[in-house]
Amino acid sequence: MIHLNNIDKYYDSKFQRSFVLKAVNLDIAEGEFVSIMGPSGSGKSTLLNIIGLLDQPSAGEYTLYDKSVLDLKEKVKVDYHRNFMGFIFQAYHLIEEMTVYENIETPLIYKGVKGKDREAMVADLLDRFNMVAKKDLFPQQLSGGQQQLVGIARAIIGKPKLLLADEPTGNLHSSQGEMIMENLKALHDEGMTIIQVTHNEKFAQYGTRVIRLEDGIIRKDEKNV
Amino acid sequence: MRNILKPIYRNFSRKPVTNLINLGGLALSLSLVIVLAVYAYSELTTDHFHKNGARVYLYSESGNLPRIYTPGVLKDAIDQNIPEVESTLRIAGTWEAPVFQAEDQEPITSDLLFTDPSFFTFFSYKVVEGNPAAALSEPLTVVITQSLAAKLFGKQSAIGKTLKLNNEKTLTVKAVIEEPKANTSLSFSALTSMATRQIVMPNEAEFKVWPFCLFQTFVLLKEGTNPEAVAPKIAALFPPDMKTKKSEARLTPFNKLYFTQFSLFNANYLRCGDRTKVMILLLVAALVLVIALVNFVNISSSQWVERVRQIGTMKVAGAGRFSILSKVIAEAFLFFLLAVFLAMALIALFITNIVSYTGIHFNLGYIFSFQFIGISVAGAFILSLLFSLIPALQLSNSKAIDNLRKGITKPAKKQTSSSILVTTQFAIAIVLIAFTILIQKQVDFGSSNLGINQENIVGLKLTPELMAKKDVLKKMISENPNVGQISFAQYFPGEIISHWETKTTGGSEEKTVFYDTFNADANFFKTAGLELIQGRLYSGDIATDANKVVVNESFIRENKLQNPLGTKFMSMNGSVLEIVGIIRDFHYQSYNKPILPLAIRNEPFSTYCLVSLQTGNYKALSQSVQDIQAKAKSLSPSFPVEINFFDQAVQQLYQSELQFRRTFSLFAFSAIVICCMGILAMSMFACQRRIKEIGIRKVNGAKVSKVMTMLNRDFVKWVFVAFVVATPVSWYIMHKWLEGFAYKTELNWWIFALAGILALGIALLTVSFQSWKAATRNPVEALRYE
Repeated sequence: MIHLNNIDKYYDSKFQRSFVLKAVNLDIAEGEFVSIMGPSGSGKSTLLNIIGLLDQPSAGEYTLYDKSVLDLKEKVKVDYHRNFMGFIFQAYHLIEEMTVYENIETPLIYKGVKGKDREAMVADLLDRFNMVAKKDLFPQQLSGGQQQLVGIARAIIGKPKLLLADEPTGNLHSSQGEMIMENLKALHDEGMTIIQVTHNEKFAQYGTRVIRLEDGIIRKDEKNV
Repeated sequence: MRNILKPIYRNFSRKPVTNLINLGGLALSLSLVIVLAVYAYSELTTDHFHKNGARVYLYSESGNLPRIYTPGVLKDAIDQNIPEVESTLRIAGTWEAPVFQAEDQEPITSDLLFTDPSFFTFFSYKVVEGNPAAALSEPLTVVITQSLAAKLFGKQSAIGKTLKLNNEKTLTVKAVIEEPKANTSLSFSALTSMATRQIVMPNEAEFKVWPFCLFQTFVLLKEGTNPEAVAPKIAALFPPDMKTKKSEARLTPFNKLYFTQFSLFNANYLRCGDRTKVMILLLVAALVLVIALVNFVNISSSQWVERVRQIGTMKVAGAGRFSILSKVIAEAFLFFLLAVFLAMALIALFITNIVSYTGIHFNLGYIFSFQFIGISVAGAFILSLLFSLIPALQLSNSKAIDNLRKGITKPAKKQTSSSILVTTQFAIAIVLIAFTILIQKQVDFGSSNLGINQENIVGLKLTPELMAKKDVLKKMISENPNVGQISFAQYFPGEIISHWETKTTGGSEEKTVFYDTFNADANFFKTAGLELIQGRLYSGDIATDANKVVVNESFIRENKLQNPLGTKFMSMNGSVLEIVGIIRDFHYQSYNKPILPLAIRNEPFSTYCLVSLQTGNYKALSQSVQDIQAKAKSLSPSFPVEINFFDQAVQQLYQSELQFRRTFSLFAFSAIVICCMGILAMSMFACQRRIKEIGIRKVNGAKVSKVMTMLNRDFVKWVFVAFVVATPVSWYIMHKWLEGFAYKTELNWWIFALAGILALGIALLTVSFQSWKAATRNPVEALRYE
């Protein structure tokens, strides 16, 4: 599904070029649950952002289903975001002026889904995450774990093939983190491809494959059995 | 739609204070802008409602004084000799305000114009009832306006009713027309025919010979005629001894009459406006709008910075560029739209107060007309587009990942641009404050340096019945213990003063002298407190003093008399006048006009009885006035008796300055309020942004005063820069404005200093509240969320 070939990401300053990612080669197949690990500044988030089309590599090839997705037009990129991938962030990034319900609904509006269908889809997800009672609350009124659940719901409501999670448990207590990971695992079991960046060794083990980055270079790439 | 409205509402309610400041300021300024725009529109389109107005011209000759008095025979001469003129119209007023009396009603003082039947072809008025054109061709008929009809006859139909003119002739009402619009230069409440004039003011000569110049002549030109070619042709019609240079003949377009300042010596039915004032007020409106827009830009950009992350989230969730763009613009548009409607509501609530306070007079109907509402909404749309397009483009073009990373951190450049904007605001505020002070100073200067007693003098207008019983009146009034001097004169502030040009006699050479002149008895000088500087005043006791005059300094200076005392000159009624005394110059007319040569004649005909009252007690004063009025009333049963205070009549002369001052100060005040709202919001943002810094400083031992100084320093700096910028600008504007006055107050340095200090004081007061709150906060709270 995802094919990265010789991806470089660097920043030029006056006298030297500092690499964030260097010659990254990576293939991810449909249905994988990949955990990317590494110390701070090792380029994990950059890699995830490149995969999520939020950032451009400085050099290299990136194909999705054998189609190059470098130098895409804004419009096409937006289409990928709407239909193909969902994002989860460490800081949740919920819209504070919107209720839980509306936050989850937002991607569907951008996608152009009809009102009735939206209602059904959101209700479905609220049900799945046990948040029906909280649908009219605002993000500030929820605990971190619950906010992240809303984040997940928002990410998956558009039925994406690929879910990208940037340290989804980074701001959470371990028990809440575990709950989030269980949810991700369940999604994976349903067939979703998931790539997560994490610091937590234990949570990384939820993945079917663990990639270890160091200074922008893939040091280890191992499959979990 | 719901998806656009709801987040906007929530964004609004999340920061109610700043948003309300923003909205309120914008609405306030928009309401001022709308009122002033409508006022300016109304003024600038004065008389545009007349259907044939574009082809109507007033004939005048520009000599020393622009003269618009023309002879009655001119009409026939034009009609016969000038084919380019389709029709000619004469208008004449009365010398004294006429008194109308309906049957069984109190008499009322009104106004009356004599005119030709073509009046209604020249000018368009809606007819309420009757046939106005017919009325103007018959004798002893009258066309009246709705308001006069209501005053005279109440709610009944006025057609066919009769009214008594000056207790003599009876006029029949033939038609009622709608009240003339507020934006017209012709103001009248009754019209009658020239045939009526021949009956009520019989003077055969005025319709037959040239030298009687008592009419204004309007011409209706045929389509496509060049007025500049016609004017000299009209001038050529005058007989040789009255001929002026052809180049001095003018045809003033009727549509521009309002801003051409002609003065009439008798009943002044021509209202005139001042284009400069309209322009200054429009400029003020624009400045107020700028201030409010600065607030809008500052506040909304601060808010957008905070919402950058939200935009990033939306992008990641699949929002396209267009939906972000339209969201930002829609939000701004709705905001402006709300402000417009709020402004409309403010206007609807306060328009009567604004109009009565400022006295500005305009066609109120325009405000809530569809066109103006349409223009306002369109204006809101354009403004919102203008002021949201840049942030909207920035936000929609930004990369989602940058937005998510940046969060609240604010780029440093933003700071300087907002400080420039706030400085601009303060500069405008300082200019407005300084100008307000100056206008006040000029008005005070004018009304306090007239050189004539103003206080505790009342003027009793002499009705025909009172004129006949002057001695009885004097005796009756002098019985009141509070009465000091009593004088009969032809003078009262705001009343018409004759202007004569005659020749000297008896001297070595004959020369022409020109002067304003009125009659007054010997008591006048004492009553009015005029200062004799040479010679003597005439006396009522010396029989030979009847033909003596007292002149002012300008008379001697302007007419270049060597030995003024004893100089003799002719009067217009044939007698020979001799100068016996010279008095110091005083402003017998508005101080906006230069003091002209003046001769005060000791002739008995008078129109006013001036009474000086010797009491400072308000109650005694008003009782005396009532007493005088009652006594006069008993002597004059068929005419209304009017008593006016001298100083109030003087104030009336400065009505337009007063209106201007009030309008200007109201708008300047609003501008300052909006300015304050802006810096209040700015200081709130500043305190919020620096909350961590304040916390760290306090933890490290900074005192509250230190923190406050730090927070206030920026604002003080801005006010200072604004002061430096504003001073030369306002000096220039004020200098220009003062040039329009014949007698002007000085431009002192303290005006600017006061304006600067006021601005600084207001700014500090506004800001300190916020900084005090921020500085006294517990630093632990600020630092907790790390």
